[in-house]
Amino acid sequence: MRLRVDGKDVEVQEGTLLLQVARVPTLCHHPHTETRGLCRICLVEVNGRLQPACATLAQEGMEVKTETEALRRLRKTLLEWLALTTDLSQAPELLALLERYGAEPARWPEVEGRKEREAVEDNPFFLRDYAKCVNCRRCVDACGDGVMGVYALTLEGRGLLAHPTTPLGRPLPETPCVFCGNCVQVCPTGALRPLALEVA
Amino acid sequence: MENPSLLPLLDARMPLTEEKVAEAARLAGVPLAQAWGVVRYYPRYRGLPQGRLLVDDPVARSRGFARLREAADGTYPPLGLEAFSPIHVRFTPEGRFVEWAGGLVPFRDFRLPFAIGHGSRLIPPEPILSLAQYRALGGLKALSALRQGQGSPDGVIRAVEEAGLLGRGGAAFPAHVKMRAVAKGASPKYLVVNADESEPGNFKDRFLLEHHPFLVLEGALLAALAVGAQKVYLYVREEFEAAQTGLLSATRELEEAGLLPVPTEVFRSGGLYICGEETALLESMEGKRAEPRLKPPFPVEQGLWGRPTLVQNVETLANLPLLLQEGPGAWRAREPKLFSISGDVARPGLYELPLGTPLGEALRRAGGEPEELQAVLLGGAAGVFTRDFAFPLRFKERLPLGAGALVAFGGGVDLWEVLLGLVHFLKEESCGKCFPCPLGTAVQVELVKRRERNRALVRDLAETLRGSLCGLGQSAYWAYQSLLEVEGAA
Repeated sequence: MRLRVDGKDVEVQEGTLLLQVARVPTLCHHPHTETRGLCRICLVEVNGRLQPACATLAQEGMEVKTETEALRRLRKTLLEWLALTTDLSQAPELLALLERYGAEPARWPEVEGRKEREAVEDNPFFLRDYAKCVNCRRCVDACGDGVMGVYALTLEGRGLLAHPTTPLGRPLPETPCVFCGNCVQVCPTGALRPLALEVA
Repeated sequence: MENPSLLPLLDARMPLTEEKVAEAARLAGVPLAQAWGVVRYYPRYRGLPQGRLLVDDPVARSRGFARLREAADGTYPPLGLEAFSPIHVRFTPEGRFVEWAGGLVPFRDFRLPFAIGHGSRLIPPEPILSLAQYRALGGLKALSALRQGQGSPDGVIRAVEEAGLLGRGGAAFPAHVKMRAVAKGASPKYLVVNADESEPGNFKDRFLLEHHPFLVLEGALLAALAVGAQKVYLYVREEFEAAQTGLLSATRELEEAGLLPVPTEVFRSGGLYICGEETALLESMEGKRAEPRLKPPFPVEQGLWGRPTLVQNVETLANLPLLLQEGPGAWRAREPKLFSISGDVARPGLYELPLGTPLGEALRRAGGEPEELQAVLLGGAAGVFTRDFAFPLRFKERLPLGAGALVAFGGGVDLWEVLLGLVHFLKEESCGKCFPCPLGTAVQVELVKRRERNRALVRDLAETLRGSLCGLGQSAYWAYQSLLEVEGAA
């Protein structure tokens, strides 16, 4: 099937995600988890409507725009808000995006965010440092439906302060966690990171 | 397929302990992780505020909110009580009460006063709480006719199409499109009545549920037969306790009379604004956190438990008996719409008016003087401020009608305080699933607090929120943007 991406004709097979033909940044999407359409950083304009490239299948005749002025502003603003509320110091890819989009977080007012959270060290293998968590849910999905099926992670709360937690809020060793490390592998911001990498 | 739902299992085990949560999870057949995510999501499991609570609606915000707030122990989101605002509720270990006429009325007994309803077709001459009353009013004719083979399921859908009935929940989506899609789907399939009215300023569904339950049920059953649904769920806002018991007894009465062709169940909502978003609603019914789903697939294809599901608003369905009896042409010629009118008008209440009535005339019906008003909030939190009193109250016009709330504000009102209430509400009700909404609604509160008028900032806020996953975030900036427009025009 044929579609137009940023004015160029593109030929793709049925079942192709727009993400495979649009060069757009991603954050919540990961090839091994089912998280998609959450962060909205990969939004593209499809026939004038905003659609997440990671969750939209290419269709015959689609007119896709991946980097309009409005989309640039949306990505820039979203990155600014993330930097405003979350400690991105261990998220080099996001820091590079902030640079690329010329983000200026300081143009927004301060909001009560995530930066003040204390890291949880409840197991010998990795840290749970939710000051750095953007709540992309990749860890929760990897632990549950997406990869492992052990369900040692879930979500606490609603809104901006929602974040991953364990069943009954228990320390990880008291949950079904098997310390497979998949959650650490899929974390994009260093919120979950191996203690072995922490330099004393 | 269908498991016992987690929410009723948790409700039956209040007050919750870790053991009881684990037991509910086992019975629902879900991981403890899922049950814990649910317990830490919904207010009634996390713990409701206690004490004397000010209902924080747009009217309260316009009547010296700071002083009212100081005199209360806390606040509670809008409850459809705007016609009596400012008003308080009392939450105690003994139960939940509305402060009313110097006393306390338990939620289970509290109905909106019938006298605030004005109309002749959707609003009955008196509360209709028994089958005999409903029959005497001429009710059940459309349902009986359909069951006796006069007309067909497809005939119902064709009549709805011919009438051009648009969904009354706020999105104004053509009702027949959804009905036809579900009718084509394979069984089992479901009808869910969205009775989770939570949009600030709106109390039309609450009124219908409390005073005209048989009309709502007849409409629901007509739709269920039209699409071939095996079951009807009434998803009722959890605080509307009197409406729930009223619907239960009405359902029982129909069943005993052999007039309930489709099994019908009342489901207590999750108790959050987002539960009214149709896919979040379905998630909560399935025992999950009420978070909107990515669409497609749409509920008409994969809805409740993955089955084709028709989700329709209360008022939409309440129109079906009328539409079929009057005939689509006659119905359309003077299409009835319910408007919840509150704020600075002499007779706040619920008004049934022909669609297309000019805003100013609607306000005058409620004893308002458009010339003396500063602005009207149209729709709700997902709504707009306007001064265009000639605006015809019709769907798909320049301004969004939402579910039909009109909140009037007189000359002395600080509209920024009203706006702050709306954006605070949206921030509190953001589920947090996608990124733009929880971030943007939190930033928006701070912008509104400092009365930010910088065009570039407001534009970027709007364009980014517009990228949210569901309608809550996508419309969260409307009120802010519209207030700046109203200011500019003034």
